[in-house]
Amino acid sequence: MEQKESTDLVQLKVHGVVHDPDTDTRIVILRDAQNAELLPIWVGAAEGIAIKMALEGIVTPRPMSHDLIRSMADHLNARVVRVVVTNVKNSTYYAAIHLLSRGTEHSVDARPSDAIALALRTNSPIYVTQDVLKRRGAWNLDAWLEKLDAKNFGKHEV
Amino acid sequence: MITEMKVRGLMFDPYNNAYIVILRVEDNADMLPIWVGKSEASAISFALEGVAAPRPMTHDLMKAVLDAVDAKVISVVITDLNDNTYFAKIHLQYEDSEYSIDSRPSDAIALALRTNAPVFASEAVLRKQTSEELEQWLEDLKPEDFGKLDS
Repeated sequence: MEQKESTDLVQLKVHGVVHDPDTDTRIVILRDAQNAELLPIWVGAAEGIAIKMALEGIVTPRPMSHDLIRSMADHLNARVVRVVVTNVKNSTYYAAIHLLSRGTEHSVDARPSDAIALALRTNSPIYVTQDVLKRRGAWNLDAWLEKLDAKNFGKHEV
Repeated sequence: MITEMKVRGLMFDPYNNAYIVILRVEDNADMLPIWVGKSEASAISFALEGVAAPRPMTHDLMKAVLDAVDAKVISVVITDLNDNTYFAKIHLQYEDSEYSIDSRPSDAIALALRTNAPVFASEAVLRKQTSEELEQWLEDLKPEDFGKLDS
């Protein structure tokens, strides 16, 4: 099933989570292996923290919500095979979590923040469709990132 | 021994800048307060008020994952309170087996409300965390402290 990835998908890695000082939200920066593609996704503060903790390998004394989802999947012998950012509509991104259970693959609708937080905890690959990359907006993220207060960026970049 | 609890509501705790989930024993009105963080409180509040978010929130996703593989939440149990660290178990039915999964009470309650699963508290928890503490806290509370989340 895992080999089935269509050529339509681009694999991305989580490059970091930055704090958007204007809105108290977080921006998850996804990049492809060649650093040619960049996808920023705005997420809430709690969602950003859930992703940052997984990136930094921080283990909390009690399981956080996404640790719990992983633990449930482990107990039920279901495996997260991949997550895919599937669509963007009015600046809202959509994602799907692909689960393999008893030889059947299930696709579960999710926010990208949950999908990414879960992918990082299950070492699952993260993909985006070419179509979403094309429609991600034309503004230049690098230029925008440079404008972020350097000190602020350093503190929050992973 | 476990006792079934009803989720009575949520209150804002201005002293600790946190939220309190109020669980109540059905037949004797004993209350069990559980302090939770802001995002956990909002996950519980959404379910209590029956608000459907435009996109699935984290516990909606949790339920969707369980639905996808045909697993069912049988019950959740608040099992222990230790120096303000709370422990819960989520009991799942999957195929012919039952699984018990370690969780924070906030996640367990947020999931129980979405799956209509009963919430229980262990006797140990009810013994340790008497209503007195909550009553004292309520007495000290000024009317203006009541938060919007109170239901």
